[in-house]
Amino acid sequence: MNFPFKSLVSVMALGASLTVMPLASMAQPAQTVTPSADGIVVYNAQHVSLTKAWADAFTKQTGIKVTMRNGGDTELGNQIVQEGASSPADVFLTENSPAIALVDSAGLFAPLSPETLQEVPENFRPGHGRWVGIAARSTVFVYNKSKLFPAQLPKSMLDLAEPAWKGRWAASPSGADFQAIVSALYELKGEAATLSWLQGMKKNAVPYKGNGTVLKAVNAGQVDGGIIYHYYRFGDQARTGENSNNTELHYFRNQDPGAFVSLSGAGVLASSKHAPEAQAFVKWIAGKGGQEILRTGDAYEYAVGVGAKSHSKLVPLAELQAPRVEPSKLNSKKVTDLMTQAGLL
Amino acid sequence: MSAVSIPARSEIAASLVAAPAQKPAPVAPRQRGAGWRLSWVGIAAMLVSLLALLPLGFVLWVGVDTGWETASALIFRPRVGELLVNTALLIILTVPLCTALALALAWLTERSDLPGARTWAWLAVAPLAVPAFVHSYAWMTVAPGLHGLPGAVLVSVIAYFPFLYLPLSAAMRRLDPGMEDTAASLGLGPWAVFFRVVLPQLRLAICGGSLLIGLHLLAEYGLFVMIRFDTFTTAIVDQFQSTYNGPAANMLSGVLVVCCFALLGLESAARGNERYARVGSGAARMPFKRPLGAWSAPCQLLPLATTALALGVPLFTLVRWLVAGGAGVWRLEEMGPALVQTLGLGLAGALLTTLAAVPMAWLSIRSPGRLQRLLEACNYLVGSLPGVVVALALVTVTVRVAMPIYQTAVTVLLAYLLMFLPRALISLRAGIAQAPVELERAARSLGRTPAQALWSITMRLAAPSAAAGAALVGLGITNELTATLMLAPNGTRTLATSFWAYSSEIDYAAAAPYALVMVLLSLPMTWLLYTQSKRSAGR
Amino acid sequence: MTTALELQAVCKQYGALKVLSSIDLKVAAGSRTAIVGPSGSGKTTLLRIIAGFEVPDAGRVSLGGQLLADGGAAIPAHKRGIGFVPQDGALFPHLTVADNVGFALPRGMPGRDQRIAELMDMVSLDTAMLKRRPHEISGGQQQRVALARALAQSPRLMLLDEPFSALDTGLRASTRKAVAQLLSSAGITSILVTHDQAEALSFADQVAVMRAGQLVQAGHPSELYLRPRDVETASFLGESIVLPAQLAGGWADCALGRVAVNDAKRSGAAQIMLRPEQLLVTEVPADAGRAAGEPAACFGAVTDTDFGGSVCVLSVRLLRGNGAHALSAQAPDPLAEPLLVRSPALQVPPVGATVRITVSGQAHVFARVAP
Repeated sequence: MNFPFKSLVSVMALGASLTVMPLASMAQPAQTVTPSADGIVVYNAQHVSLTKAWADAFTKQTGIKVTMRNGGDTELGNQIVQEGASSPADVFLTENSPAIALVDSAGLFAPLSPETLQEVPENFRPGHGRWVGIAARSTVFVYNKSKLFPAQLPKSMLDLAEPAWKGRWAASPSGADFQAIVSALYELKGEAATLSWLQGMKKNAVPYKGNGTVLKAVNAGQVDGGIIYHYYRFGDQARTGENSNNTELHYFRNQDPGAFVSLSGAGVLASSKHAPEAQAFVKWIAGKGGQEILRTGDAYEYAVGVGAKSHSKLVPLAELQAPRVEPSKLNSKKVTDLMTQAGLL
Repeated sequence: MSAVSIPARSEIAASLVAAPAQKPAPVAPRQRGAGWRLSWVGIAAMLVSLLALLPLGFVLWVGVDTGWETASALIFRPRVGELLVNTALLIILTVPLCTALALALAWLTERSDLPGARTWAWLAVAPLAVPAFVHSYAWMTVAPGLHGLPGAVLVSVIAYFPFLYLPLSAAMRRLDPGMEDTAASLGLGPWAVFFRVVLPQLRLAICGGSLLIGLHLLAEYGLFVMIRFDTFTTAIVDQFQSTYNGPAANMLSGVLVVCCFALLGLESAARGNERYARVGSGAARMPFKRPLGAWSAPCQLLPLATTALALGVPLFTLVRWLVAGGAGVWRLEEMGPALVQTLGLGLAGALLTTLAAVPMAWLSIRSPGRLQRLLEACNYLVGSLPGVVVALALVTVTVRVAMPIYQTAVTVLLAYLLMFLPRALISLRAGIAQAPVELERAARSLGRTPAQALWSITMRLAAPSAAAGAALVGLGITNELTATLMLAPNGTRTLATSFWAYSSEIDYAAAAPYALVMVLLSLPMTWLLYTQSKRSAGR
Repeated sequence: MTTALELQAVCKQYGALKVLSSIDLKVAAGSRTAIVGPSGSGKTTLLRIIAGFEVPDAGRVSLGGQLLADGGAAIPAHKRGIGFVPQDGALFPHLTVADNVGFALPRGMPGRDQRIAELMDMVSLDTAMLKRRPHEISGGQQQRVALARALAQSPRLMLLDEPFSALDTGLRASTRKAVAQLLSSAGITSILVTHDQAEALSFADQVAVMRAGQLVQAGHPSELYLRPRDVETASFLGESIVLPAQLAGGWADCALGRVAVNDAKRSGAAQIMLRPEQLLVTEVPADAGRAAGEPAACFGAVTDTDFGGSVCVLSVRLLRGNGAHALSAQAPDPLAEPLLVRSPALQVPPVGATVRITVSGQAHVFARVAP
């Protein structure tokens, strides 16, 4: 029996025409991010609300259109690396430095203009000048007020691997944020110490998915405390506070690995077809315009620009006694390998 | 022959609710035993099957590529042991509980005179309209402390028991009352009749349904993340988000595939080659409905409790969050595009998958043979793989080999095709089987050209089943989370991924509207499934 | 003969439908009874009530003196010890033949295998079949396994629900004979339900005819065949020729001439019944009918022959002769309606030939129908 090809073709034609319409509305790499003639494409791993505020203000001031593609640090970083020179991205914004270091090590960034570099103090940008810090966040130990008294708090993040802390603290090991903290630990203390700390964490910590979930769990008393970034609590307090009213923040200080301040980075892709606009955007974020938004907005991340002040509610950066870590050296791949070895991933 | 395809998630289920195996339509003599001749249809079918083997081949290739040392280090480590124990415990606890619950409900609604049995029957199927991750979202709201194995088992039983209920109730409807009468005349009391005569008849349905639930447990992501229970799939996604397509993710994927095959093998062994259709000819009488008498009121408690937990909790949660969020959570400018994209993906995916299934379905009915069966088996095998494995394979393959389609809608649709092909295949087969070649020949003898005969007879008769299959694929796509998360171009937001994004930030109120829309979209499909299941038993 | 089973005024209705109306039946111990009737007559329901699968609304069922059902109360089926062989056997497909046959026998019973072999022997089945599954044996063999299974518990009563209807025609007769022999040699009281009248007549010692929920007549097969109570029963049990006639002193005047009847006392108008085998046709010369001769002779012309192998069916048109009466009261032209007569194929008169029809034996007179 001959297969009725004519009918099949007509059915397929019908099907194709029916699907073209919805597909047209689908996000394809070249479509939702088709930049207009004078716009740029930003691969954004920062919190969407913050980047949106930056983009809107930038567009208002300069008239340059900004199209965002949102995602996670590692996701977008890896995507850019995979896309290589044909990536449509002009600018890459991250929450932590390992991801931007990853893209840099693939040689995909163009050097930033000297004016941009001048906006950021030296300790908040790598020496090679291919990316700069645009915001920062501090590692904290958030704890439940009724479960822990200040005398009982851990002196160092390394204490959390001790048997005394079994089942009493939480973190989000699968997230890029926590992995950045571990990468700092690796940079500061070396492989052996990091691995043994991770193994202790495997025994002691309760894993959650997402820093916000950790905060909520600590608040509910499911665990005594957790390792997250500072701005989650500030943000929740500024809203309803229902996920953080029972909690307090503990800063480790003393150049402890637990006082690590993670740098959010921005870089311009070498393959960008709108280099001047891209450079302008990065300069703007690092400069007064962008940093002012950090001071007055509801992101509660630290401002890092020269002479920029952070939000008044935050503990000033200088007082945090953060350890010195070269941001471009943070190695995400090594961290995931170690975490896999310890059984956390 | 009419067959029902169970929707939301897997294909093997479909064969459970289908009528007992009948001989395929008689094949034209020149085709029978003539081996498999190369024809356009055959080539098309082979291409689709080879495509289906892609994820499997990929897993093997990565294993070889990584080298034995690294691979074994990544496979034989305590974490994998942990995940294996978790998975084994999950399956060992969930499946028997689901079986007991489904058996009790099926018996009550089909074989007893429980008042409101028809309503309870529909309510037992309705939880399928709620995606699994929405079930756990609801339970996290109602009982925030619920986590780990007990929580996972509870929510899994609630979310998946309909997969056993459907085939069991269909099987009970088809039971031959003559056997039960005879057993009674041979001196067996009612309970003994149930265990020695009725239950063995249900073995096929129980095996198939349990397999389906087991495969879903292996594949599910959202449910277990929310309830904080580590499984292979959650670990793979964690690895993926950390290392993209690093070897560790792929090794975990490999172990997961082995678990799948183990389940398939287990089910095959448990099923054996028993024959469970009625032996003998003649029409079966309608089964006898046992009067419950004084037990009628207490027996109502079971379906009531089940409905309260499986439907009441999600609905209550949605209402609560919607009320708490107020009108503000209905961000239509966000939800609109998400809805359009979901529907677009669902429609495109359903059409593509159904079309891709046509050659194989055609071959399997009109010219079955050994090679054809082998190819078909490939399709079903891949359909049982978790979405995360398929997605991972496609990510790596497109990145390394097929860059142009990397991170495009094409890749996502391809993933959907691989995952849901069996569903479309089963429905199409049933549809084409309803139009044996004799009908076309009769039409041609009455003066129609072959194409006209095909169109007016075969296509017409097969169309409803094909449409049902496409609808079920669409349903699966609407609720699909894992592969979409991993493969969709970053700007794409479907209802499921939007829901996920919000609930990950514990913004449950904002997630509620998306959950509601997903449930509403799923309801018609679930209704379709329910009515088809009733019809397949001739009621 | 002791009575094994007794039904008294058994009634059953489903909603508004009266399925059984006041059934009275006695079954002697060790005998074979056939309950026969068209579909919808209620015979299967009656059987199920005897088996205990359904409860009668009114009436009593007793077996060997033990009361099984009375009004709405009944002993459940699994306590009655009554064997049941349903239509197409209903063998358990998940068990081997051996397990099927031994289903009623306790697991740990000593000599169980022996008993199973015995039973297989009883139904003339090879013991090599014991390891097979039901779907691997033929329909006839399945039926016999079902029988063996029911016999295993040495039942007091055997009920068979259309057991041979699923078999091929050729197999049906031989299986029936074998089963009948088996049951009578084992001395088991049995009741067979069937819609096939030939089966009922050959199998049973007592035949009970049911129609529309009522037991019309019960008795020995020959009794029912030769002396049915009414026209429907007569036609149900076989082909019959029913004629209106005038009775007088043991003779009837009807369209076939003067026929002897089995009721000497009745006179006046009545309906009589003849069985086809009672009519004989002989070819006669064409002008015989017009000759003045025996006044009560009956002549006809063959209009059609239907060859059927050993027996042919002739359509014969009656010729107006002396004493010819209307063939039927309703036909506008009674002579135009042909009579169907059987003839051995060896002596078939050709179409158009004149034949003489003679009646052997007595015709049966139907009882007066109460107005």
